[in-house]
Amino acid sequence: MKRLFVVAFVAGLLTVALAATLWPLPQHPRFRSISTVPADGGRQEEFVIHWPEDRIARPGERGSGLPPAAAVGAAVLEDSAGRRVSAELFRLRDTEDNVIGVAGRLSGTGGAIADPGRSATNWLLVIPSRGALFLAQNDVQDTTVRESIAAEGSVALAPAQAGAFWTDRPRVRVTAPAPAGDGPATTGRVLRGTSEFAGLRGSFTETWDLEEVNADGSTRGRILLSTVTIGDN
Amino acid sequence: MARALIAVLGLVLGVLAGAALVLGNPLAWFRGLPPLPPDLAPYKTYRWDDYRGIEGGLADLLGVGERNREVALMDPALTHVRIGIVVLPAGEGAPAALAVKVSALDDDNSLWRARLGTRDYWSIFWPGEGSVFANAYSNHWILARDTFFAALAGGDRELMSPSYAVTAPPPLGDPAGVTGASGRYAGFTGEIREQLYPAPPGADRTSPDWAVAIKANPPPVATP
Repeated sequence: MKRLFVVAFVAGLLTVALAATLWPLPQHPRFRSISTVPADGGRQEEFVIHWPEDRIARPGERGSGLPPAAAVGAAVLEDSAGRRVSAELFRLRDTEDNVIGVAGRLSGTGGAIADPGRSATNWLLVIPSRGALFLAQNDVQDTTVRESIAAEGSVALAPAQAGAFWTDRPRVRVTAPAPAGDGPATTGRVLRGTSEFAGLRGSFTETWDLEEVNADGSTRGRILLSTVTIGDN
Repeated sequence: MARALIAVLGLVLGVLAGAALVLGNPLAWFRGLPPLPPDLAPYKTYRWDDYRGIEGGLADLLGVGERNREVALMDPALTHVRIGIVVLPAGEGAPAALAVKVSALDDDNSLWRARLGTRDYWSIFWPGEGSVFANAYSNHWILARDTFFAALAGGDRELMSPSYAVTAPPPLGDPAGVTGASGRYAGFTGEIREQLYPAPPGADRTSPDWAVAIKANPPPVATP
């Protein structure tokens, strides 16, 4: 009996050892990175977001029955001086239209952040199998989401989702150009990366492309984030 | 019959002892990071109930969590990701901030190396002030261990600590920390720490509370 107990006990220990070794801990599926090498060096990679379908709705949010420019997956924080910050959540795609990660767009106005009538924007791009990229830029205009009270309650209004925003243009380069000088032509900077993107710096531009204005005044389009990075060394 | 009972008892005790040995991995004791000075970097508590993706508990870390279809992200690349908008409260001389936090299960998790972690990414914006990015690695191993022993003791959550400092050095030496992005925080660099507060015994909610501390310093002044 004693020997049977010891054998069973050791079998239990071995079972745990085997389970700890072979347990299939979660792994992120990986998509092939689609990058090119520009003529003047570095590494160019583009990321795409379609609106409104790539917006990540917050729990309980409805995507229908809202005003035309209403955006799901967004929040606004404004202080008593009218300085505003907005946050938006998106799925992130590669140029082959695969969803490869998530993105957070935070924009702010006023005070030390941006000149009057303009905003500054941070993009947090997270590709779970590869790491994250931190992007920051000055915007050519105020691109923050506004909050409005509608019959449905408080709604977030994204400028690009209203047809009126696109009266005379199908494309807007949101990233402000850099002041003339020897540096990069854009204020969009890749500040840092993690994991596979660790040690990378560079520049980027954010462009909004209008694809369709719907009968109700809402729009469809895409955000293109075009990055050019080089290693720190 | 008696032999079968002895065999089952031995097997069960062996499994429990094995699990206790794996969870008691001494590597976990050396994985923490020193806390930041509370006068320079006070913790700001926040709720992270407004999220999409995984719940982020031990079941998700082990890959056995059930998908909550109301909040799950169904794209294959996002099955182990949690994203949400967070409001960090005002206080200690700083206004309230709006933030996006993303957590992704770490691909390097290992039961033998006492690693059950997430890669955490922050983008934080203070209205009119400025903004920072931050990234950190959170290891939930100690929480898993205490949860296991509390369960062994009949679900006695009193055995668990009221808070867990989850921030740990990232595996493989991956850089972590704070990077200033805009406004008066442009160019700043620093560190981040996070605490997890499990739901107290008898509480209505099961999700934890969180707190984050950030310490960032301005860039060094260049001397001619």
